[in-house]
Amino acid sequence: MKALVLAERSDAARSLCAGARTIADEVVFVAIGSVDVPAGIADKVAHIALPESAVFDDAAETVISVFDAEAPGVVFVEPTRHLLAIAGKLAAHCGTATITDVLAFEDGAAKSLYFGGVGERTLKVEGTAIYTVSVDAFGEAAPSGANATEEISWVAPACPLKLVSSKPIEKSGVDLFKAEAVVAAGRGFAEESDLDLARELCDKIGGGLGCSRPLTEGVDWLPSEVYIGVSGLMLTPKVYIAAGISGQMQHMVGCNRAQTIFAINKDKNAAIFKQCDYGIVGDIKDVLPALNAAL
Amino acid sequence: MKIVVAFKVVPDDQDIQVSSDRSLDFSKAHQIVSTYDLNALEAAAQLAEATGGSTVGMTAGPAAIDDSKLKKNVLARGIDELVMTADDACANMDAHATAEALASLAGKIGDYDVIVSGDGSADNYAQQVDVQLAAKLGIPFVSGVTKITPEGDTLIVERTLEDVIETVEVPLPAVVSVTPDVALPRIPGMKDILAAGKKPMDVAAADGAYESVIEVLACKAPEQADRKLEIFEASEDGAIQKFAAAIKAAL
Repeated sequence: MKALVLAERSDAARSLCAGARTIADEVVFVAIGSVDVPAGIADKVAHIALPESAVFDDAAETVISVFDAEAPGVVFVEPTRHLLAIAGKLAAHCGTATITDVLAFEDGAAKSLYFGGVGERTLKVEGTAIYTVSVDAFGEAAPSGANATEEISWVAPACPLKLVSSKPIEKSGVDLFKAEAVVAAGRGFAEESDLDLARELCDKIGGGLGCSRPLTEGVDWLPSEVYIGVSGLMLTPKVYIAAGISGQMQHMVGCNRAQTIFAINKDKNAAIFKQCDYGIVGDIKDVLPALNAAL
Repeated sequence: MKIVVAFKVVPDDQDIQVSSDRSLDFSKAHQIVSTYDLNALEAAAQLAEATGGSTVGMTAGPAAIDDSKLKKNVLARGIDELVMTADDACANMDAHATAEALASLAGKIGDYDVIVSGDGSADNYAQQVDVQLAAKLGIPFVSGVTKITPEGDTLIVERTLEDVIETVEVPLPAVVSVTPDVALPRIPGMKDILAAGKKPMDVAAADGAYESVIEVLACKAPEQADRKLEIFEASEDGAIQKFAAAIKAAL
């Protein structure tokens, strides 16, 4: 079987190609635009150059031409917004539907979250399957291949989008994906200045600061890119400290694969106390200064 | 500008019960508009206000979505008209089937300039229905939109992606998928809700078979990771020290 892999970032390119290699004899990586292709990850690299002022998503028609030429049995896609749009157009072309956010593969079926983690479903499609998978879905597999590169000619869409500008988002400090410790702040923080207590805790344990939805939507105390939970970050740090977070499922799905979960909440009946390793019942305004002093 | 807004009706996740065999029980769950689709409804209403246009809400799902409270809730949010396919043949559709059902509704509505959709539904969160809908209708698609500005025959949108903010010119008609940050949903007042009951609602059975391709082999609550559940009272002597020691040990 042949596998087609689409990724925007090099770590995803490497891990998805490695995963593809475990089930396919031939791996073709589709490199769109200026993606940095790691050496030795695929038998073939199909490179699609983006014309000036083209939007990345509009490479879909060209990706479909690669798909038709290669006729793969399976397609693995990194779940970025650009690539989700391309996956959707490819799925429409194939008369199928993308199976998204696959956690693991078992006997040819894919496990994926339902209702943001209330449930887990095992899903399968007949024919060519298109999956979006995260970097860690395949574990420790190693990629291989000679990366024989082919330039693909651009297939223009009927009604193209036009890129006016693209500005990098100024990231605020630590990359939470890579952080070994994460402190997450929630609605228990009554004032924006209280966040300094959480920042101090981050400094003490070398962690990054994230939050639950109330602190990024509405009050805007923290940037939306550090929101943890359904449709936000899904993290697996060694230490996760949930401060002033009640433990609603929508948040917990973003952290329930952390190694050790700590919780601070003034409500002893908060749901978080049924889902943590260590909990402390108290107001964050009292607990955090004492904890910072003790660390 | 004629704006269509697609939304999904889902069981309220707060009411989902997990049985002892880890199966999910939806029988006590109310039907609600999927959370992020409320932001899409608001974005559509604001775009209509800005352009002096009109809004039509559309959705497809099982017969249970034909719920008077739910319909009024949608129409009380600056939506002028509602078109709905409510048929048990439309239960548990995947993105392929949903896009077909919505494409058929969009054809029935006709003459639209833009179709607004939400970031992803509370149940599947696949983010694939809107792009498949655009592909079926043969019109452009843009996702991750956090700001919409009409300009002549086009929309200028700001998309907030993982690492960049893109400004994109979108030719119309198009499907525009918005994130929750695009607009804060309004809280409808009593007057809005009363007025909503008098707005046009077109509820019909499915006029085709919308076939799902994704087969669901199993659906269960996940096995909970075994957590230690050691809970201290902050006022207890030495509680903070024990907590701090546990953090150090886990690092």
